[in-house]
Amino acid sequence: MRLLIASVIAVGTLLAQTEVRHGTVSNLPSYKDLKYGPLPPIKPPVPVEVTLSNDLKVFLLEDHELPLVRGSALIRTGNLFDPADKRGLAEITGDVLRSGGTPSKTGDEIDVELENVAASVESSIGETSGTLSFSCLKDNTDEVLGIFKDFLSAAQFRQDKVDLVKTQIRSAISRRNDNAHGVVQREFRDIVYGRSTPFGWRTEYSDIDNIQRQDLLSFYQRYYFPSNILLQIYGDFSASEMKAKLEQIFGAWKSTQPAVPEFPKVSSKAAPGMFLAAKTDVTQTFFDVGHLGGELRDKDYPALEVAAEILGGSFSSRLFQSVRTKHGWAYSIGASWSAQYDHPGLFHISGSTQSAHTVDTLKAVREELDKIRSSEVTDQELQTAKDTVLNGFVFFFDRPSKTLNRLVQYQYYGYPRDFIFQYQKAIAAVTKADVLRVAKEHFKPEELTFVAVGNPSEFGTPLSALGLPVSPIDLTIPEPKQTTAKADPASLTKGKQELQLAQKALGGVEKLAAVKDLEYHADVEVQSPGGPVMQVKQTNSYLASGAMRQEIELPFGKQYIYSDGNTGWLKGMQGPQNLPPAVLRQVRGEIFRQIARLMLSDRDADRTVNYGGDGVIEISAKDGPSVQLQVDETSGLPLKLAYQENGAGGPGSVEQTYSDWRDVDGLRLPFQWTVVQGGKKFAEVKIQDYKINSGLTEEMLSKKP
Amino acid sequence: MKSGIAQSTFLLLVCPWLAPAQSLQDFEKHVTEFTLGNGLHFIVFERHEAPVVSFHSYVNAGSVDDPGGETGIAHMFEHMAFKGTETIGSKNYPLERQAMDAVEHIYDLYDAERNKGAKADPKKVAELEQQLKAAMEKANSFVIPNAYPQVIEENGGVGMNAGTGEDSTNYFYNFPRNRLELWFLLESQRFYDPVFREFYKERDVVREERRMRVESSPQGMLEEALLATAFEAHPYRNMPGGWASDIENFRLPEAIQFYKQYYVPANITISIAGDVDPKECQRLADKYFSILPSGPLPSGPRTVEPVQKGEKRVQVESPAQPFMAIGYKRPNENDKDDPVFDVLGEILAGERTGLLYTELVRDKKIALEAFADPTFPGGKYPSLFLFFLVPNMGHTVEENEKACYQIIERLKTEKVNDATLNRIKIKERAALIRRLDSNSGMAEALTFYHVNYGDWRKMFTGIDDLAKVTADDVMRVARQYLVPDARTVAYTSRPPGAAARAQKREAQ
Repeated sequence: MRLLIASVIAVGTLLAQTEVRHGTVSNLPSYKDLKYGPLPPIKPPVPVEVTLSNDLKVFLLEDHELPLVRGSALIRTGNLFDPADKRGLAEITGDVLRSGGTPSKTGDEIDVELENVAASVESSIGETSGTLSFSCLKDNTDEVLGIFKDFLSAAQFRQDKVDLVKTQIRSAISRRNDNAHGVVQREFRDIVYGRSTPFGWRTEYSDIDNIQRQDLLSFYQRYYFPSNILLQIYGDFSASEMKAKLEQIFGAWKSTQPAVPEFPKVSSKAAPGMFLAAKTDVTQTFFDVGHLGGELRDKDYPALEVAAEILGGSFSSRLFQSVRTKHGWAYSIGASWSAQYDHPGLFHISGSTQSAHTVDTLKAVREELDKIRSSEVTDQELQTAKDTVLNGFVFFFDRPSKTLNRLVQYQYYGYPRDFIFQYQKAIAAVTKADVLRVAKEHFKPEELTFVAVGNPSEFGTPLSALGLPVSPIDLTIPEPKQTTAKADPASLTKGKQELQLAQKALGGVEKLAAVKDLEYHADVEVQSPGGPVMQVKQTNSYLASGAMRQEIELPFGKQYIYSDGNTGWLKGMQGPQNLPPAVLRQVRGEIFRQIARLMLSDRDADRTVNYGGDGVIEISAKDGPSVQLQVDETSGLPLKLAYQENGAGGPGSVEQTYSDWRDVDGLRLPFQWTVVQGGKKFAEVKIQDYKINSGLTEEMLSKKP
Repeated sequence: MKSGIAQSTFLLLVCPWLAPAQSLQDFEKHVTEFTLGNGLHFIVFERHEAPVVSFHSYVNAGSVDDPGGETGIAHMFEHMAFKGTETIGSKNYPLERQAMDAVEHIYDLYDAERNKGAKADPKKVAELEQQLKAAMEKANSFVIPNAYPQVIEENGGVGMNAGTGEDSTNYFYNFPRNRLELWFLLESQRFYDPVFREFYKERDVVREERRMRVESSPQGMLEEALLATAFEAHPYRNMPGGWASDIENFRLPEAIQFYKQYYVPANITISIAGDVDPKECQRLADKYFSILPSGPLPSGPRTVEPVQKGEKRVQVESPAQPFMAIGYKRPNENDKDDPVFDVLGEILAGERTGLLYTELVRDKKIALEAFADPTFPGGKYPSLFLFFLVPNMGHTVEENEKACYQIIERLKTEKVNDATLNRIKIKERAALIRRLDSNSGMAEALTFYHVNYGDWRKMFTGIDDLAKVTADDVMRVARQYLVPDARTVAYTSRPPGAAARAQKREAQ
């Protein structure tokens, strides 16, 4: 107390050490006294629109300021059309389209030719469109347009460039967890859109292995045809001359295809909860919090833009004020409604904060979201948000090319031509009541998906303090499938035939399909590495839905594991905890290999059954485990199961050899198997009994001891 | 030669529509320059395509000017330049000032006690810490937070930001043209009368920025290690954000001191590009910026990096997939060989035809990415010619390093052909034309060339220097500078057993 008094007294005698200017500055002019004249009315340039004789739609805009010509073709395609076992096909096609060259020249030759005249042609395919663009000096327009046309109509996809891009995408996959910011964006997106949907799935090594040059050619031919393309060109040319030139260059390209179907719809359900990806090489936690949002055409879109702007769109927004300015917890913090043209976008609040403030910051995020849903924003906030858009509106028109590009986008996604002006009007009309209403209606705290990427050992307060179930995110990158055989129609058919033999040997399809639950008790001798043999009692229970429970009696206590196939818990010596990623992977493998389900893999759309030769059937799940099943070619009984295990001990190969087959309720099941891990005997399993359809439920399995 | 936007050198070529001399002459008609009595220099570029204006303030001071023990202070001031003035951002300035002074006084006592080290009284320290917190809260209670940027935003300002580099600090945004005077008012007042409010909260924010950009980024960690290894004495050894302990401890008066020394009008150049009348700009500049008191031009750091004697290598442990950076010492951007380094940079890393791409990425398929930067991390002082190598899956950094050296050795023994040199010259010319398409890009470039080369015309006349670069020059410079003794190699390495440790942690 004494000190405080001393300091207060001292203030009066101190030199004002915080001040830059001594003396009065209050007579400086104030911004509040400035008056602003009107801007000239916006007169957007009007492009020339023309459809060539081959149905290619063209938009031309003259702009003679600089001696440049630029353009781009917008192609109706996208990675949403990737086949489920060839994810990444669109991306690879977009890339090799350019690098793989044209009929007369390789891509490498074209690289030099274009750069010799300081021109470029680039290609890519994104989620809901493909783009081929060019840029050149005016004098080289003809030459570059010719190359551009060759790429659009006759790309060659030379094999060496297919191989190159495949190695590069494999490298990118191997590096995808290196930057926390990239991880959080990807995981948030995948979880909210759903990992099994085209919006949320990701490319794995196995996809790249499946993609061949022919796939690229087919994809390209399916989507790159004149009536499926909108072409825009702007710059220093005469529109009428350009029209004639384009007819001459593109007119003879007559390729046609059936109309491209609609894109798949977003189909995911809300995935509320906390998802944590552990990363030890960061001092901050990167987070994304949100849920599915909406489209630009929604009537509430303008009010939602205002609401998101006030929540976290700028320096003056609430999240910025609270998390950054007031608390100093983050450099990066913001919110965005992120509406899309043709499918719901991702409403999200994102940022990064030092590990120890993870929970504080996420709490603040939730509080601000609750606040904007519970009472009206202030007049000042509304005015600032609206002024920000309306006073900056002229920047939508500061380059003629912006108007042209917007027009083409509107055409592509079926929006009215004056959409930008409708938006301007709607923003001007937004009220405080609108903001509250749309915030209540469209911001859904109960649906929030929280994704955090950080180092949980430094959080201080654990994430569970937020009162949400915490599910770990497994960042393990699935290794390429150990497929020895190439899948072709013949081997796929043969694989199914062989599996059907095994189905018969085990009691037939009906009996197998009738298994709703299965439980066995076993005595297991475990050969621990370098240690003594350990006797273990084990009970495994499975549901046809994919849930499992395991109870193991170890010499030093009992361990329980439960999983529904996606998450689960583990209880050992300590209290229950969420399944660590490594254990979850093992459990998912167990569920995948549950014998009744495994035998019916040919009926499961998510599994591939292929014949690998020598009595080996290869069964693989789309996004995860795979096994090699050796069957006796005469009896059809499974002899051996081989698989890769990527558990806590690292990756390794496992083999289970079956024996002692007996009848159980009309099924034939193994009563003994030997487990060999990494070439060494690991365990001997002897079954006491099997119980089939004893009425197990998910509730019983998930019951914590 | 280096600018934040792009490399931009320009070559004299015979060209029917745009001979460079004519183009400069033509361009000059749109440029007006004037210097105020206090030394503040303005470059106005008229472009009436749309009713918008870009503003760029280039302060010729950056992290190289951070005093010892205060690395990151230039960056810290950049953040304070958004905190407002006496009239923007305060509910009651006299009371706010008093409260801010109280914070500093308690902080002095707190520091004095802490500085006793082992003899410090922990109780006293804790007590003072509490008082400090209370004093800060009081000072902050007078603040209208983010009032300054809010005025910019609600008046339609877009692209508002600032950046602190090794050599300079830059402030920039765009307004509709009817807000021209508002920019003059706001920009002049933030440089005349900045109030360092919420200093210690913002210090936390700046600390977070370092955690984000450097500590949580494998690339950031590698860059920091490369610079700290390559430069033993010159302040290029520090990242612009500064070191953690400096950030956590620097004080408000230190930031004021930095501001007073380096933010003198003669050390600031401003460019205005867009739909403006230069006469009006001059009138407003006089009206608003003349109040900035003139001061002596500050000198740069006196420390000169000693000559490197032998290769240096540094390994950074990281669980990320490996990558590598290699830097060779090179002279500063005013050296006669500066254009040769630019040409070398293009030979190695020009788009799809650069040697690093064609050989390492495309043909040998050993790199996922490979590029070069001829001037890193800055250009005002002797710096580095940088290579950055990212191995493809199944290939190592060692393999890439070796292949990179093979290319360098070839440049020392085989002359690059005329076709390559011509291509580079044509591309640089076109790059300048493309740059003219952007008001903000031009505003930045005009200030950059003015400050670093003494005249914005260098953007155009640099063509003469580039035109003179011959195949012999390229070979000579490669032989002279791209040598092992002047090399620093930094690479990431996955620590042995890291994967197993991570798994173990995961399983626990």
